[in-house]
Amino acid sequence: MELKEILKKVVANRDEWLELRYHKRTSLDIEVKNGRLREATRNILSGVAIRALVDGCWGFVSTSETSYAGLSKAVSQACKSAKEAAPLKKEKVKGLASLPAKKEKVDFARSNNQQKETSLEEKIREIRQADNLLQKAGEDIIASQVSYSEYQDEKIIVTSDGIEVEITDPKCDVGVVAYGVKDSQQERAHVSKSITGNWTELFSEKSLADLVDEAVSLLRQRLTAEHVSGGEYQVILDPALVGVLAHEAIGHTVEADFVEAGSVVQGKIGEQVASELVTLVDDGNAAGAGRTLVDDEGCQADKTIIIDKGILQNYLHNRESAFKYDTEPGGNARAFTYRDEPIIRMTNTYIRPGKSELAEMIEGVSEGFLLKGMAQGGQADSTAEFMFDVLEAYKIEEGQISHPVKGITLTGQAFEVLKSVDAVSKDFALDLGRGYCGKGQPAKVDAGGPYIRCKLMIGGQQ
Amino acid sequence: MERKKDDVLALGNEIVSEGLSRGIDDIEVYYQDVDSQEVVIEKNDLQLPKADKYKGIGVRVCKDMRIGFAATNDMETNSSKNLLDEALILAQNSPPDRNNVFPAKANLSEVKDIYDSEGAEIELNNLIEISKDFMTEIKKDDRVMVESASFSANIINNAIFTSKGISSQYQKTFFSAQALSFAREKELVSSFDIEYLASCFLQDLSIKKSAARLRDKVVASLGAEPVESFKGEILLTPFAAVSLIMRPIVFAINSENVQNGISPWKNKLTERVSSNKLTIHDDGTEAGGIGSKKFDREGVFPEKFTVIEKGILQELLYNSYTAHRAGRKSNGRAAGGAQSTPGISPGNLIVAPGKKSSKDLIKDIKKGLLVNRYSGSVDPVSGDFSGVVKGGELIVQGKRKQPVREVMISGNIYDILDQIIGISQNREDIMNYKLPYMLFSDISITGKDSLN
Repeated sequence: MELKEILKKVVANRDEWLELRYHKRTSLDIEVKNGRLREATRNILSGVAIRALVDGCWGFVSTSETSYAGLSKAVSQACKSAKEAAPLKKEKVKGLASLPAKKEKVDFARSNNQQKETSLEEKIREIRQADNLLQKAGEDIIASQVSYSEYQDEKIIVTSDGIEVEITDPKCDVGVVAYGVKDSQQERAHVSKSITGNWTELFSEKSLADLVDEAVSLLRQRLTAEHVSGGEYQVILDPALVGVLAHEAIGHTVEADFVEAGSVVQGKIGEQVASELVTLVDDGNAAGAGRTLVDDEGCQADKTIIIDKGILQNYLHNRESAFKYDTEPGGNARAFTYRDEPIIRMTNTYIRPGKSELAEMIEGVSEGFLLKGMAQGGQADSTAEFMFDVLEAYKIEEGQISHPVKGITLTGQAFEVLKSVDAVSKDFALDLGRGYCGKGQPAKVDAGGPYIRCKLMIGGQQ
Repeated sequence: MERKKDDVLALGNEIVSEGLSRGIDDIEVYYQDVDSQEVVIEKNDLQLPKADKYKGIGVRVCKDMRIGFAATNDMETNSSKNLLDEALILAQNSPPDRNNVFPAKANLSEVKDIYDSEGAEIELNNLIEISKDFMTEIKKDDRVMVESASFSANIINNAIFTSKGISSQYQKTFFSAQALSFAREKELVSSFDIEYLASCFLQDLSIKKSAARLRDKVVASLGAEPVESFKGEILLTPFAAVSLIMRPIVFAINSENVQNGISPWKNKLTERVSSNKLTIHDDGTEAGGIGSKKFDREGVFPEKFTVIEKGILQELLYNSYTAHRAGRKSNGRAAGGAQSTPGISPGNLIVAPGKKSSKDLIKDIKKGLLVNRYSGSVDPVSGDFSGVVKGGELIVQGKRKQPVREVMISGNIYDILDQIIGISQNREDIMNYKLPYMLFSDISITGKDSLN
């Protein structure tokens, strides 16, 4: 019997509400460090995730068994655990937003993707060449690292309410890290790119050699940059940092599970939370690394307007929260592997472009910074207070970019920052790089927007 | 379903034999199965009971000094032949490297107290009871909110088989509890704080004590006030020391980073890297240690050694690749599981205790901060750090004055290791670290006054 038929039979044989998701991931990782092929691995991770809803409580079991007998046993365990846990659950799941019963096959790759698949040999050769190029870029380069990852997900989702969806989702990314030294001070700079698609599409705009050049140039700038004094400044954030702000500091606070937990936007739908120049969107249909045409509950992706011209309009939902809030889910229930349950996640999150020219925005700053990209990482909590460190930064003095600076950490309350936005550029890019969002489990996401000008606090080291 | 010991042995030997018959020079088979149960709490309420059964196998081959690795958890449809085929294709496309050498067979001995046979019988109901105990204790103060918490039990089997004759298995149990919480009183909201417990023995998880400690910490941080900028002392709790101090040290002592020239301690063996108050041992076989194991990812015994002795760097962490490159033997720090190639990580990193209690260290502070948690960046390459103090308290003339907010600390980790002026006698176990409180002098503390 075909696996899909087994899943359907297992679901049909139980009275409890069930969701079964077969999820197979086939991945390839290649990493070259300092000329050494550090990683050339193939991996298959596959199994079935089972969610049962019993007495208003979820039970979740994941198993690599795919036989009818094995799955029936796992389903019984999921139902039993839900039943046992239900008495402790205070707020029961009262229902799930309904989805139209459907049978469909969805491929997340862009439809015009007809390029030939690149061979393994070619991929390894090109990654090694890029590493070699990086190593030879100059005497100031002390170490190099080029890494590439790809995975192809194949899923079959079957639920008790008639959903039968088959999904194919190819994603890949690349990262280049340059390490250098100047006057005994070591620095590192990284550039990365991530897409939904294949190797050819990944390098359709910038080649590996271009990424190496970018990393070297960024490293040299960091090696010569000065540290700055902390304080509150007018700054211009590039699309990558706007993406970090949109995703990390704003986006998480509007995920309905965080809203329920008392995030700062609880009860603020319809209120002004940002400058009227700001419209913030989550869109699984966009052609970014977070492309999720159908989510792991079988729900079609929608474009969710989170903030419309400064007014908070919507939260992000799964079926459970959408039912509670009497709204439609937008395709934000995502699970990273078969071992993870679907939870509310962002997809591609961005601020819409505005009407300003970047040059004019810079001219309007008397003392501040132009800030680009995130360095090591960032953190934010449900109060929307955040901390990000910046990869690339320039001092702006009297409307002119003067010199590169480093060691900048941004902190603040994201909605206060958005209220201070006084200019939004015409540019637009989804540019979160190869980063994953972490929320108990990883998720491939993307984020971005235009350049924005705002005020926020900078922590420096002088 | 968990494979029986003999089945695993047969599978491992079958793949090794098949590989050798195909003329592969070296074969390594790593098997792992994990049986996990977890109860997840969110927003003060039970969210999800979870269970997961995983078993997987990774095959690493070496032919003509070329390495390839393939792994799967689909043992029904992916035969050992397929895995060998995949690994060989990768090896054929890889460049030769004379350091691609698998370790020779050596004596392995069992590690004490890493398997709790009674705890391994735990059922979901027991975990639900544990989570109930935690919630009852922490909610004794109704100002306390539990943002999220989880309680988990894991039973792990590891096995390795190589063409060099290594053939061994061991079992381990691992129980953990973690919680993220804050307190709210009218308009006052504390910062988030975290408790993390882990043990190989279920009965060693002091759930109620941990809940009470978290409750007290978040309530104590209510009413935090900004402070002005100053240069002073900081006392890091063991939890804050993990992210701020230990992770950069682990990066610096990783032999791969040293050989790649990116460790700041690349030429520092036998030289001073910190204040003489700092001594660190790495013990991969400590009885009951979270990081303890019978063998590392390559089947090497994870011996005990001193990393830093009174400020002097003594030893690095090696796997067999970096050891061969350095012309020495591996010290058993190859890390990873069945689905990854061997990386490098410590066993149990143990910081030697000082003579004073953490309470007495506070008395030594003229003006400084107690840093309960650090939320910020640390660049292990340059050592630069800059971030926000969470759950911080201002200390003046040895007395705890007030909780603080919107305070940042910054500097360079490798520089401030020389500014350690105190190490506490009392230590805490956090994952595979045993850490004291650590007191540093002359730290840049940026307060609210720096706003323009």
